[in-house]
Amino acid sequence: MNQESISQHFFAPRNVGDAHEPSFIGRAASLRCGASSRMSLQIGEANNIIEAKFKAAGCNVLVASLSKLTELVQDKTTAEAATIGQDEDLLLNALGGLEPDRFSCTTLARETLLRAVRAYSDAARSEWIGDQALICTCFCVSERTIEETIHDCGLMTVTEVTRACYAGGGCGSCHQLIQEMIDSFGVRRPGAALVSPSEDV
Amino acid sequence: MIYLDNNATTRVAPEVFNAMQPYLTEIFGNPSSTHTLGRQMKQAIDVAREQVAALIGAADTSEIVFTSCGSESDNWAIRGALSAKPDKKHIVTTQVEHEAVRNLCDLLESEGYEITRLGVSENGELDLNSLRDALRHDTALVSIMLANNETGVLFPMEEIGRIVSEKSDAFFHVDGVQAVGKIPIDLKSTEVDMFALSGHKLHAPQGIGALYLRQGIGLQPLIVGGGQESGRRAGTSAVPNIVGLGAACKLANESDVHERIASLRDKLERQILTTISNTLVNGTSAAGKRLPNTSNISFQYVDGQNILLHLDAAGICVSTGSACHSTTREASPTLKAMNVPYTAAQGSIRFSLGRYNTEAEIDRTLSVLPGIIKKLAEMSPY
Repeated sequence: MNQESISQHFFAPRNVGDAHEPSFIGRAASLRCGASSRMSLQIGEANNIIEAKFKAAGCNVLVASLSKLTELVQDKTTAEAATIGQDEDLLLNALGGLEPDRFSCTTLARETLLRAVRAYSDAARSEWIGDQALICTCFCVSERTIEETIHDCGLMTVTEVTRACYAGGGCGSCHQLIQEMIDSFGVRRPGAALVSPSEDV
Repeated sequence: MIYLDNNATTRVAPEVFNAMQPYLTEIFGNPSSTHTLGRQMKQAIDVAREQVAALIGAADTSEIVFTSCGSESDNWAIRGALSAKPDKKHIVTTQVEHEAVRNLCDLLESEGYEITRLGVSENGELDLNSLRDALRHDTALVSIMLANNETGVLFPMEEIGRIVSEKSDAFFHVDGVQAVGKIPIDLKSTEVDMFALSGHKLHAPQGIGALYLRQGIGLQPLIVGGGQESGRRAGTSAVPNIVGLGAACKLANESDVHERIASLRDKLERQILTTISNTLVNGTSAAGKRLPNTSNISFQYVDGQNILLHLDAAGICVSTGSACHSTTREASPTLKAMNVPYTAAQGSIRFSLGRYNTEAEIDRTLSVLPGIIKKLAEMSPY
């Protein structure tokens, strides 16, 4: 198995440190192995990642994974970064493959990235000053759009909402909010057609 | 290559290799055979037995039984002791034993034995009062190591032996694997009943060990078969390895390198503590209470495996207390028992020196280490 990339990123990690302010920080730790990591993202007005930096005390695979992720998310939107953070195979392939017993090290790195994106999303949501409350910051989906989608299609789950209008398809920080909306407004109309799965989320 | 992992294993000494070589080439034969070749082999084993007995201060050469490794010696001693006292179901040991003893005791617990695992202080030292309190009339065995493999901390074998024999009629087994060849040992002046040792820790090859069995103690064999080793351990004697172990014991006994190793270790430890911040030694610093070759140092807030890999890339071999086992990567039970803070245990590195280390190697290690730690500290999230 090709470990070259792990070794390169471990011995010469990219983007070690803290992103410039204002930055959004994700932290993760594993009780099982004792590793601890943080990622900080500086994010521009177009939801674009200007700078991604990390710190870690953990194994070589964790360090290499974080290093690689900071490279992968550079200049991406937060929605794209969240997708990268949720894609196990993408990171594994980017690192040239790994033994299965080390997959959990890459998972911890992806979780660190996702938490940083969520930190941004939570902040962006609460600071949003548009006409409509913003729920999904990754895909810029408003509260009203989600409400209408739930009503019109009779949706019952967050997954269905994501398929229908993209909301919740990024970092996942709005899942709780979407669930609450389903609980309040969501009544599946008898005979309502399920929305077909979106292909390009 | 700078090898600072001598507690893991050691290089075969040229003296050992030279002693073994004839037995791997022109001299051969089964020591159980009555013909000339067989007698020659038996004689070689007798010499080796004397050499082992001399190094550990056995009262008689018959007290030495050759085995395949330290773990076999430990397993045989413990299982054998328990079989000899079938009515007693209590074992006293410590939380910091080598896996050979620790995991066997866990297994015995599942088989119905009651195990008392003595804790240690933050310096890694044993509280002898807790030993006194733990001993019972139904204690079959006390198994306590002489030197801890990770920290090098020594347990007072003489005193423990006195307490065990005064307060109980349990057998006293000592895992001496990490100590033999590094410090003087005189078993005849102790109350030790069984003492395990392993060749590869003292420049003999891997695959040879021995168990010291005090005269008068008959243990049921672990390996049953031919009558080798006076019926105590079956299996054709590994003559080349036995000769190697004997030669290694002779070398350790006659050697004058021990002081040099100790002074190199002291230099390494002192310089690391003074030049690199957030470092601490795991294990007592009291004179004579730690192996002279071992230094277990925590580089707090950085990762031990990372340090190990960077040192390895610089051609320096060490080991870490936070080894990444396939799915779990827990701090070592020894460091846990010592209450070493989590962020310190994660960054622990064991330096274990040996007879072939030079001052230049220690200086080289001291020159690359600060840069490695600096780089990792910059990456630390703490």
